[in-house]
Amino acid sequence: MKNITYNKDFYRALQDIVGERNVSEDPAVTENYRCITAQSSAHYGPYDTRTPKPQAVVLPGSTEEVQQIVRLCNKYKVDFKAASTFWAAMGFIGSDNAIQLDMIRMDNVEIDAKNMIAVCEPFAIGGTVQVEAMKNGLNCNIAGVGCSSSTLAGSAGWVGFGPSSIFMGIASENLLGAEWVLPDGEIIRTGTLGSDGEWFCGEGPGPSPRAIFRGWTGTAGTMGVCTRIAIRLHPWPGPKWIPVRGTAPAYFADGLDNVRAYTVCYPDWDAYAESFRLFYEADICYLAHRQFNMFGRDIKTAMVEIFTHPEKQFCDLPELMEDPYIKEQNEQMKVDVQIVLAGFTERDLDYKEKAFDEILRQVGAHKSEYYLQQDIEDFVKLYLLRLARKNYNYTLCSSYEGNFGLSPNVFVAAPLMEEAAALKREWEQTHTGVAAVGGDSDMGSVSGIGGGGTTGWEFFVHFDGFDKESIYDSCAHIDRTQEWMTEKGLGADFGRWNADVRQPNGYNYTQEQHDSFYSKIPQPALAEYQWKIREAFNPNRLTGSYYKTLTPKEFRDGDNK
Amino acid sequence: MAKKSMFDMTPVKGYEKKLEDFFPMERRCSNCLGCKFVPFEKIKSNRFGRNCPSVWHYNFNLYSARGRFQLGQNILEDGSVRFEGQALDAIFNCQACGACDVGCKVTRFNLEPLAHNIALKERAVEKGKAPDALNAVAAQLAKQKTMLPGAKKADRGAWASGLKLKDISVGKETAEYAFFPGCQYAYDKDLQKKAKSYVSVLKKAGVDLGWFGKGDMCCGGRAGQMGFRKEFEAQAQANAVVWKKAGAPKIVTPCSDCYYALKRQYAMLGIEVEVVHAVELIAELIKSGKLKLKKAVDLSITYHDPCRLGRLGEPFEPWDGTEKKILNQVHTWTPARPRYAGTYGIYDAPRDVLAAIPGLRLVEMERVRENSWCCGAGGGCSVFNPEFSDAVASERVTEAQATGAEAIVTACPWCEKNLSGVTSENGTAMPVVDVIDLVAKAL
Repeated sequence: MKNITYNKDFYRALQDIVGERNVSEDPAVTENYRCITAQSSAHYGPYDTRTPKPQAVVLPGSTEEVQQIVRLCNKYKVDFKAASTFWAAMGFIGSDNAIQLDMIRMDNVEIDAKNMIAVCEPFAIGGTVQVEAMKNGLNCNIAGVGCSSSTLAGSAGWVGFGPSSIFMGIASENLLGAEWVLPDGEIIRTGTLGSDGEWFCGEGPGPSPRAIFRGWTGTAGTMGVCTRIAIRLHPWPGPKWIPVRGTAPAYFADGLDNVRAYTVCYPDWDAYAESFRLFYEADICYLAHRQFNMFGRDIKTAMVEIFTHPEKQFCDLPELMEDPYIKEQNEQMKVDVQIVLAGFTERDLDYKEKAFDEILRQVGAHKSEYYLQQDIEDFVKLYLLRLARKNYNYTLCSSYEGNFGLSPNVFVAAPLMEEAAALKREWEQTHTGVAAVGGDSDMGSVSGIGGGGTTGWEFFVHFDGFDKESIYDSCAHIDRTQEWMTEKGLGADFGRWNADVRQPNGYNYTQEQHDSFYSKIPQPALAEYQWKIREAFNPNRLTGSYYKTLTPKEFRDGDNK
Repeated sequence: MAKKSMFDMTPVKGYEKKLEDFFPMERRCSNCLGCKFVPFEKIKSNRFGRNCPSVWHYNFNLYSARGRFQLGQNILEDGSVRFEGQALDAIFNCQACGACDVGCKVTRFNLEPLAHNIALKERAVEKGKAPDALNAVAAQLAKQKTMLPGAKKADRGAWASGLKLKDISVGKETAEYAFFPGCQYAYDKDLQKKAKSYVSVLKKAGVDLGWFGKGDMCCGGRAGQMGFRKEFEAQAQANAVVWKKAGAPKIVTPCSDCYYALKRQYAMLGIEVEVVHAVELIAELIKSGKLKLKKAVDLSITYHDPCRLGRLGEPFEPWDGTEKKILNQVHTWTPARPRYAGTYGIYDAPRDVLAAIPGLRLVEMERVRENSWCCGAGGGCSVFNPEFSDAVASERVTEAQATGAEAIVTACPWCEKNLSGVTSENGTAMPVVDVIDLVAKAL
């Protein structure tokens, strides 16, 4: 058992490290770093609780300050967690004896245009990394979470696929190295950075603990603090800044003549899946995402109408939904996807257009006429290229949770889509806690890995974060869909991905609780291996329970404290 | 609804909102960072991507609109936080510039971060927790009818000496427009010259202009922005009495703070007054050919949009509706409730005036129009916390210098004063001028 040793000496030491104005234990500040889990897509369920209150909040300004803080935490056995844009509960602490590091002061972005690399600090968000890259004819993968989130957090700590992953790859593929303060305070610079000070390769010849640090999902901030990363940038054929026209809040991309945005309408899910295979093979897509269906099959076109007309609001939804033209569009777009093509030359764009048309012909799909309207196309271009409006996830009801999580090969996921949609539709009709939007509210990346192969889909469950009935009902719905996922052998529902890493009351799980979970999984040795990794890198177990470990059998019945 | 009189003084629906009324939106905030950054698709660089001076300067989440939503919950739910310490610091270190409001409303339909921040200030004031410096400002307003420290009511009219402006307050003379200078132009020795210049230019172009003479007072708007609701209301009512007696003329003001107060804050109180900013009127006069700018002004300038002329300067629209849920859980307002996203503020008029000056070259900053960076003076911050206010101004001067312009132009005396003399991150200052300075040179 760890000592509870947060005290005034510890606080004064923090002040010495970062200066008085950058640390606080005032309750107004510390209460501000508690995540109301119902408000944010935490991927572990919308509970009506808050994560624990940190003892103090500290704002480090450099890697050296982070190192000193971490060493101090080890000395006093105080838990810590670092986060920057705080999208979800995983960024927040999970015990009472803990401090929160807010990385907001570290927001630098450096572009190495020649080598197509961006070096990012934690509070550099996707939106700012991208604008700096575009000035140099380059672009970066922005994860589906949107451009308001930290590039570093997505790249180092979580999954990181999005609309651009088909062309630019996902976060783990783009990570070229990291400056990493280990949980015990040692600083490691991975890959070439650790050898000759350059960022071009994350694997070597310097130290290469990337698999430990990153893996597929990332460690959700449980293995120390990443203070800088380098990511691979990709070609961008557009202007140095995407011109925006329109009046707030209806913004449209302007003048992107070598970029085309289409919405494809399919006759059925088989055609949908086959087209994905062909898209992967043809390698023509710059972005590919099922985006606006996130609002729901019955309202998606009405929602785009609202977003593109600043005078419209949600009270216009019923009338828009009854509009015969809108209804017809929804009918045509029951099974749909948004695709963006970008031409690096006129011939390139011409080729991609022809290949795209041929794929649509082969599968019997067509382009949505609605989305060919200039304003609508320009809205989609801006939306998908910048991913600036990801807060639309919350717009409908103020909260949402992703569920189902149909992320395997498209030929596995697509045949299940209507059954999943029917399950959700039935819930919408028999319960009032979630928004009734037509069942299917599936959305997500066409590509869960660079170039394609897997998908990254989830159904959005829209609920009101102010309304307890809505919170609990949406939670019950995810319980139901988890049952369905289990029946189908599909694993954990998206909404339950993190159910085993933080308790419903917002606190960390204990090792004993984790042992009881992971001793029952099909391959417990995997979690035992992770235990050994964690013990080597994080001997005082100071960064929460998102790292999934099982005490090896030889220690389980003995001293595993 | 029956048409109200111009000075009905019945507050419109929504004005009486108290902190408790904001609880649902405190819970519905989605922590999207829209209150920390310029609307993301409008960001042009990492360096100038932020929108809220408060969280930019103080860094703790508490100092953002999102943080204040959380603070409101802590205060209302269980009293885990009280009006003390950093709670008060965050509440009052807010310029009420409205950048968070614009950032929020780009995607959200039912949140009002600016109104919520002011509700927090009001509650703190009610509890007697306002900073001493702001209490002194409110007391000064009650006593001297101005919020400028040290200024005396008796000295207010000095700026107008020699102008031969018609005094319409006594009911003997009338004018189409009443010139309402605002406290800065009325008292500050340097700015008085600019007020005179505005009057001269308008009169030269044939505008039928008067003023309220001894009835001229502070608009009181800033008191409202600081959370002193009662003092603001009293001042607004005092002005309304004078204006009514003067025949309810149209009001022209060169001060963006006054403009916002009269256009939006007074409208919420039920005082409907027709107000134009002086640059709007000058733009119209130029367009109609009544004012001709002939002399070249060889200068490269950048224009700073004042918050209260720009994003906060949108027309007021009364709304009387209800909220209800549709589709099970979609929260709506019926009929559609006005959504002040900064779209219809006054952006083009000052630029049109500048474009009409021969030789003048306008180079835009990155953060313009509804996304303009605040000068730092708003919400009483320049009085209460000059160090913070100066830091915010310095950030704007740094941004202005990045354009390569030789001078900053603005249309608000508060902005002009706050930006003047402040050095950028490079340690150098920039000349700051009023639109009228350039117009006068070009005549």
